[in-house]
Amino acid sequence: MKNTKHFLHRRTFLAGLAAGVALPSVLGISGGKAFAQAATPVAGGTVTTVGWPGPTYLNAAITTAGPESFLSPKFFDGLCGYDFGMIPKPALAVSWETSEDGLKTTFKLRDGVKWHDGQPFTAKDVAFTFMQVIKVHHGRGRSLFADLQTVETPDDLTAVFVFGRPAPAMMKALDGRESPILPAHIYEGTNILENPANTKPIGTGAYKLTSYERGANVVMEKNPEYWDTGKPYLDQLIIQYVQDPATRSAMFESGQCDIVYLNFLPPLDILRLAKEPGFEMDQRGYETSASSQQMDFNLEREHFKDKRVRQAIAHALDLNWINENIWHGFGKPGASPLHHEQKEFYTTEGVPSYPFDFKKAEALLDEAGYPRGANGVRFEMMIDPTPYGDESLTVGEYMREQLRQIGITAKLRSEDYAVFIKRCWTERDFDVCIYTAAMGADPTIGVQRFYWSKNIKKGVAFSNGSTYSNPEVDALLEASQVELDPVKRKEQFVKFQQLVMADLPTLPICETTRATIAHKKVKDYTVDALGGALGNMANCWVEA
Amino acid sequence: MTFDRKSFLYRFLRHPSGLVGIIIILTTIAMAVLAGWVYPDGPWTIAGTPRQWPGVNQAYPLGTDSLGRDLAAGVLHGARVSLAVGGAAALFSIIIGTLFGGVSGYYGGWVDDVLMRITDAMQTIPSFLSAIAIVGIVGASLPTIVLAIAIVSWPMIARLVRAEFLRLRTYDFVQSCRIIGMSDFRIIFGQILPNCLAPIIVASSVLVATAIIVEASLSFLGLGDPNQMSWGTILGNGRSALRSAWYITAVPASALVLTVLALNLIGDALNDVLNPRLKER
Amino acid sequence: MSTLDPVAGVTAQKRGRLTRFVTGPLPRYVLRRLSQAILVMLLVVIGSFILVKSAPGDLVDVIGGNSDMTAETMELLRQQYGLDQPSYIQLFHYMIKLATFDLGYSPLNAAPVLDVILGRLPVTAILVVVSVTISMSIGTVLGVISARNVGKPVDLGLSILMLMFYATPSFVIAIAFILFFSVFWNLLPIAGFATVGTRATGLMYAWDVAKHLVMPVGALCTFYIAIYGRIGRAAMLEVLKLDYVRTARAKGISERRVIYVHALRNAMLPLVTMAGLQVSSLVGGAVLIETIFGLPGMGRTAFDAVSERDANLLLGVLFISSLSVVVVNFIIDMIYMVLDPRVELA
Repeated sequence: MKNTKHFLHRRTFLAGLAAGVALPSVLGISGGKAFAQAATPVAGGTVTTVGWPGPTYLNAAITTAGPESFLSPKFFDGLCGYDFGMIPKPALAVSWETSEDGLKTTFKLRDGVKWHDGQPFTAKDVAFTFMQVIKVHHGRGRSLFADLQTVETPDDLTAVFVFGRPAPAMMKALDGRESPILPAHIYEGTNILENPANTKPIGTGAYKLTSYERGANVVMEKNPEYWDTGKPYLDQLIIQYVQDPATRSAMFESGQCDIVYLNFLPPLDILRLAKEPGFEMDQRGYETSASSQQMDFNLEREHFKDKRVRQAIAHALDLNWINENIWHGFGKPGASPLHHEQKEFYTTEGVPSYPFDFKKAEALLDEAGYPRGANGVRFEMMIDPTPYGDESLTVGEYMREQLRQIGITAKLRSEDYAVFIKRCWTERDFDVCIYTAAMGADPTIGVQRFYWSKNIKKGVAFSNGSTYSNPEVDALLEASQVELDPVKRKEQFVKFQQLVMADLPTLPICETTRATIAHKKVKDYTVDALGGALGNMANCWVEA
Repeated sequence: MTFDRKSFLYRFLRHPSGLVGIIIILTTIAMAVLAGWVYPDGPWTIAGTPRQWPGVNQAYPLGTDSLGRDLAAGVLHGARVSLAVGGAAALFSIIIGTLFGGVSGYYGGWVDDVLMRITDAMQTIPSFLSAIAIVGIVGASLPTIVLAIAIVSWPMIARLVRAEFLRLRTYDFVQSCRIIGMSDFRIIFGQILPNCLAPIIVASSVLVATAIIVEASLSFLGLGDPNQMSWGTILGNGRSALRSAWYITAVPASALVLTVLALNLIGDALNDVLNPRLKER
Repeated sequence: MSTLDPVAGVTAQKRGRLTRFVTGPLPRYVLRRLSQAILVMLLVVIGSFILVKSAPGDLVDVIGGNSDMTAETMELLRQQYGLDQPSYIQLFHYMIKLATFDLGYSPLNAAPVLDVILGRLPVTAILVVVSVTISMSIGTVLGVISARNVGKPVDLGLSILMLMFYATPSFVIAIAFILFFSVFWNLLPIAGFATVGTRATGLMYAWDVAKHLVMPVGALCTFYIAIYGRIGRAAMLEVLKLDYVRTARAKGISERRVIYVHALRNAMLPLVTMAGLQVSSLVGGAVLIETIFGLPGMGRTAFDAVSERDANLLLGVLFISSLSVVVVNFIIDMIYMVLDPRVELA
């Protein structure tokens, strides 16, 4: 268990592991009603899952951390859900329409929805949630909805979003995880961060809270009044928080837990169990939680100011080897600042790549003016891996060996999470740092932050830590924030990928993919783009 | 207290646990010394296919780990780190503990009170927890780990030394030293300390063993020095591959258990040989 | 005083006894221990406060890193939690609150520190009490058997077993337990304190908890069984040589009675001391076992509090755990007195 997520922090809940092979698409899928293999869902039963770490809150409107992201969609609904391919589908909103200039979006809300405490859900709740919670307290929402001027509520079942500038990325951020709708009657006029309802959620969602033991478990029960009549099928949904991945593995294998999301088991165990008859692996349902492992070069350091040095290091690493042996195939070798799940914009065409080639690496270093010294060493450097998860450290160990062969003496530094964050994003006292970060449903939400020069922000973790500043890139990013034409937006992101990969301020190492592994008796846990981890689990049922 | 070296060695080697212990420890030391010769490239070199079982490929008698590193190289180099950490940590904690315990026991009074309250405070905080906190905050490197282990284990020595000093300071020879005007410093280090070496030596073998276990536990939690491969590092690395390649965990675990066992055997033997009446703790 | 007045006499006598009680050795001892304990706890609190505060990175860095916060929000949070003030003022505020038994708020748990601790104390308490009881009784019995058969194969066998227990780190034992008892044989539940989501009560609940605790307690105990066994054996051997045991034997008292009543009582002293040490190392020190078995005890809580820089929570845990250690040591002193009236309170 070393490393092993001992320092696994809340953000990695989602930015942790991942998977890349073809989807074992056994289940019949479609928008919410048809089910697998003609089997009819049976109501009743309990499903137990495991995760780590435990949550701070039980809703994700005031934090973007991982544990909350898992729990929130069970208790709360968003305006929309997402079918495979991130196609919005009705949830609390039954229909929506955006004006031609992109400045106004009108949502028609579902009638007859009740909060867990029996109060009716109205447009007032929507307006309150976006204007006073998401816009103020949500890490990503704060920038995504920065231009949301007001939410008009002409009647109880209509909410009109009025923007100062178009926000095309918004339509991918309306689900119960990214923008859960909170009850205005509970939160209005209170200190939102310290409202007791944050740990005793009152939502409109498929499940109600039964009990919550801090750091140990959350027990949820069926919401019998759920608007999606007949659902959820399960009586009870349990998540247990267990820190050690190998322990989780043992629990799963011995049947003490039924389903495990987000690669919460060691990858070798997932692969081993997936081949056994009683289990099933599914890689769908993680479209909004794409994450990549990458390495920031500190461009303020003399060595790394030279593009050729950065490129030389890229040539010294065999990303295929890393993908196979460190990520165990749960990913694709990094080839772009974007993630391949961001299908609309992702490209490798015309994007510079750095195939594994020691000779090329050495040549580039010679050229950059760092010849081997008498002892065969060109220069020394320090690698800072994120102190959680095996993968950052292991990549660091591999990298140290590879660099030794091209004459760079590298050392690894291991500190705890708070020190790591402080060192890299506040004090900027590092050479290179390796981490895994969420890329978001849309590049504007998740990718822009690493490359936009306006996001060089001291003290803000996972901002532009390399201090990369390229006016051309800035212009492309800013244009894409408001571009409504999908074709033009794609062109902007293609150009962005080409420029950034040529400059290489940040080296993409692995575009990770994820897997759910379940006992076969658990059915329909992944029915749409949000899957069971980030969706509401309303369709899930267990074979008797 | 002086002892005849020959007869000490003779008695020690005749003691069955002493003999077994010393053989195992000498083997471990030999492994540590030879590591650089047998595996000059160090334990981190990615040598071959990951997870080759022991005996499958003759080039890797103990198999390879999850990244294809030679486990035999890891175990040999790991012996270096584990022994070095154990030895250094034990040495430091003996130094700190002896200073605290000696001064406390020799002077008594308020000095004793103050130093003992600090010792109490150190013992009230669970030691492994403090070690984790120190290493986590200062950063995981070999010197930090050694220091952290020393910081949490000295109170035990301090109590031991203090008790001995309390007993010895009333003895005639100490009184006469005082009368002839010998400095406190010389009395403490020149006169009393040599007389309580026996219990310190016995305690030190246990201390080394404990330090090795603590280092392994820290590495197991991911708090090891990432530039040094200890047995704990390999153990921790093997954890996630336990079901598919349990030997990665078993190999360093056996080395660890054997070494700790040997150190305890030596401790027992020393205890019997040096001071037959000495009780544990 | 006049002895003529019987009432006054009785009162005087009573007063005398009372005075003796108030100024006698026990209360003076209690007072002394209490003042020492308060001093020690102050040192613990201040020491750990300095440790957390001198560490680079604060709570808000951690929260911000976990949830994509903007610089402005982080600044606001710092103000809200008082982290923008100098450390010594924070410590001062903390001490004032502590004096009124207010342990403060834990931002990372979104709850008062006391609530968090009270939720986790039962796990640790049961773990500690059960482990100490089991390891002490098994260890003592094995030690006595060893001592009675000193030099015989039984003694050798037990000594080797003890050494193996002593030398194998608890986490290695824990891993082996899980592998065999749960994965291969599927006999025991692995993680947590009780089955989550069942509404079992009474005996069924107790049985459930017991099953959950078998492996963690087992892994915590092996090392201590070895220690008790070794100490017990040594102490027993020593006591058996003493005159009063010989006398007892000479009197023809049965061997069993000699051993278990007369000898053991004295041999218990070092074992009881050890129990005190074990309690203090277990309250909050079972981090590895809690980690492996997914038990949310005090050790994990403290560990998380350190890595997340949640100073209030860390200090709260250390305060409560040092309090319990102090109480336990006090009880042990009392047991000492009962076992050996010659022991003086000092």
